[in-house]
Amino acid sequence: MEKNCSSETERKPIRCKAAICRSPGEPLVIEEVEVAPPEAWEVRIKILCTSLCHSDLTFWKLDMGPAAAFPRIFGHEAVGVVESVGEHVEELREGDTVLPVFQPDCGECRDCKSQKSNDCSKFPIAHYIGMPRDGTSRFKDSNGQPVHHFLFVSSFTEYTVVDVANVVKISSDIPVEKACLLSCGVSTGVGAAWKVAEVEEGSTVAIFGLGAVGLAVAEGARLRGASKIIGVDLNPAKFEIGKKFGVTDFVNPAACLEKSVSQVIKEMTDGGADYCFECIGLASLMQDAICSSRQGWGRTVILGVEMHGSPLSINPNEILRGKTVTGSIFGGVKAKSDIPFFVKKYLHKELNLDGFITHEIGFQEINKAFDLLLQGKSLRCIIWMDK
Amino acid sequence: MEDSGKESTKTAGKPIRCRAAIGREAGEPLVIEEVMVAPPEAHEVRIRILCTSLCHSDITFWKMKGPLGYFPRIFGHEAIGVVESIGENVDELTEGDMVIPSFMADCGECVDCKSKKSNLCSKLPFKVSPWMHRDETSRFTDLKGETIYHFLYVSSFSEYTVVDVAHLTKIDPAIPPNRACLLSCGVATGVGAAWRTADVEAGSTVAIFGLGAIGLAVAEGARLRGASRIIGVDVNPDKFEIGKTFGLTDFVNPASCKDKTLSEVINEMTGGGADYCFECVGLASLVHAAYACCRKGWGKTVVLGVDKPGAQLSLNSFEVLHSGKILTGSLFGGLKAKSDIPILVKRYMDKELQLDEFVTHEVSFEDINIAFDLLREGQSLRCVIWMNK
Repeated sequence: MEKNCSSETERKPIRCKAAICRSPGEPLVIEEVEVAPPEAWEVRIKILCTSLCHSDLTFWKLDMGPAAAFPRIFGHEAVGVVESVGEHVEELREGDTVLPVFQPDCGECRDCKSQKSNDCSKFPIAHYIGMPRDGTSRFKDSNGQPVHHFLFVSSFTEYTVVDVANVVKISSDIPVEKACLLSCGVSTGVGAAWKVAEVEEGSTVAIFGLGAVGLAVAEGARLRGASKIIGVDLNPAKFEIGKKFGVTDFVNPAACLEKSVSQVIKEMTDGGADYCFECIGLASLMQDAICSSRQGWGRTVILGVEMHGSPLSINPNEILRGKTVTGSIFGGVKAKSDIPFFVKKYLHKELNLDGFITHEIGFQEINKAFDLLLQGKSLRCIIWMDK
Repeated sequence: MEDSGKESTKTAGKPIRCRAAIGREAGEPLVIEEVMVAPPEAHEVRIRILCTSLCHSDITFWKMKGPLGYFPRIFGHEAIGVVESIGENVDELTEGDMVIPSFMADCGECVDCKSKKSNLCSKLPFKVSPWMHRDETSRFTDLKGETIYHFLYVSSFSEYTVVDVAHLTKIDPAIPPNRACLLSCGVATGVGAAWRTADVEAGSTVAIFGLGAIGLAVAEGARLRGASRIIGVDVNPDKFEIGKTFGLTDFVNPASCKDKTLSEVINEMTGGGADYCFECVGLASLVHAAYACCRKGWGKTVVLGVDKPGAQLSLNSFEVLHSGKILTGSLFGGLKAKSDIPILVKRYMDKELQLDEFVTHEVSFEDINIAFDLLREGQSLRCVIWMNK
């Protein structure tokens, strides 16, 4: 592999390999791309490893609407090393170990300054197709054609360019493949339990969908001392896995014959769970989650990206009875302050990250990661760039 | 009936014959008739109503045909009365006490009543019942002996009624009855929603959809909390003037938003959305509008209005996920009657909480149907019905 030190590559485009998706739902193709140097407020990062998250799949399959853009470099959960920085970047230097994160943390806008919100308003969303400040691309394929970015990160490439608001410096003490998990899925789940729901000791929790995000919610709830953590999943194998993360009870909707899932959960919790989390992206499950929460104070947190765009239909009487529903991007996490905190919790052996990694492959085999996740066989498959 | 304080020694333990305004058919004017009011059973209290006021929820069920419409029925649930006699196991009240009934029970013993986070008593759970709460029977019969249904555990359109002790709050008799009765439902609900459900903090921006008594009470509650901006939304422009009394700083009439949508207008006014939006009508479309007007990141939409049975809210899932907005709601403004109503009484007596301007009309019991006309025509906020004038 090339070893680019900044004196050779600084301020010049880098030629490297990237896994490009040229058509919705098609396997990625490893091609050579040219990665432009970082502009003002940008950082060029050498990716060490990256993992596949379901949100990559959702947009990888998307064939219509303004959010669909091809050719594209997917990937948004990763860890890397700073290769060079653009103007005005003070907080990072070449050689820093960093996590790129899709959710910006500019630190300056009203949302970033508020404890109550992590929804940085510095950049308009603009469907995440280009760089956040100017919407343009830093990638060109071998024909000189621009390749679209994804979620401000684009980590399925040896080098990427990311805005400084989307980068967090982390300790180099944490093994990089563990750190990678904190770039999206695991932080989302733990953040949702700690910051959005604020699970307190003794609470009852129900988690719909035991993928990486759901299991991370369980881990977060376990660390907060939840007394009961009910995992809901169609795959019975998830229960054994879930126990490692604190799941105490398991409900398989396919096995609930006469009763609905929410009836079963209400019975198990004497009226409904204190906190319910939807971690799949299905409006029907979001509704089940709301019904499963306790009247008076039950809070439902929605983390899943609805996979069909279906609306969320809620019986207003549920809301009148004191139930709260809220959604959260990135589990309420403010990357630059919360992720270093999670790293510390891992290093102090409190936060368990080991069980999330079920597979490891080299960059050339990246499509295997897609197959594994689509078949429900993996939690997180680490893709090593250097193997 | 006599006004004498000694009446209970004559009537205690026996049925009382008195006048009640009975709804005999859905949507038909109430008829004042004599009824028999049985003595209170265990955990029950018979009270003499001093005055009562009409709330929209009375109208909803008065109009209701089909399986949810129970007739003949004694409506009314916003009132103030005096204890005439008590049943067994009633230790907290005695004859002569001034009491406010509430449709929401406060038993003080169950998990919900003991929790700060909930006001939904689970020992005597709320539903729109035609009966007394514990044994599901009625204390009213007409002179033919036919059972008359209760309403919301109160049935205040009657000179005497029987109410479960969990639904009664003893209050300081110094407060004028035609102010106290407002704290039995509507005004308490609105103020409670601002304080307990939303927890409006000083400097917030608030938008209120629907400026009936509840919406204006939300404004009053937000004003007392120091909200910096209170935007009232209503299709009746007259509501702005009266709303100013309760703290409204701005007014939006959806009918006048020509090129822009309501949410565009409010988002512009507030620089991105209000911190708190309250829906005080009971219409899914208005809940959607309130949600859209609420600021991303921390905005809270509070649902207070009761919609038709079967109504559904429909929100864009991606927006729910991405916006971080909070959707919540409450019954009775999240208040625990026995602890919170006395606080509201005190705040009125200390001249902090405004109640006077909610009462726009006063009639005698015989004219109770005028109260219905006024409210249905949108001409009143609260019409107080005096039992003994």
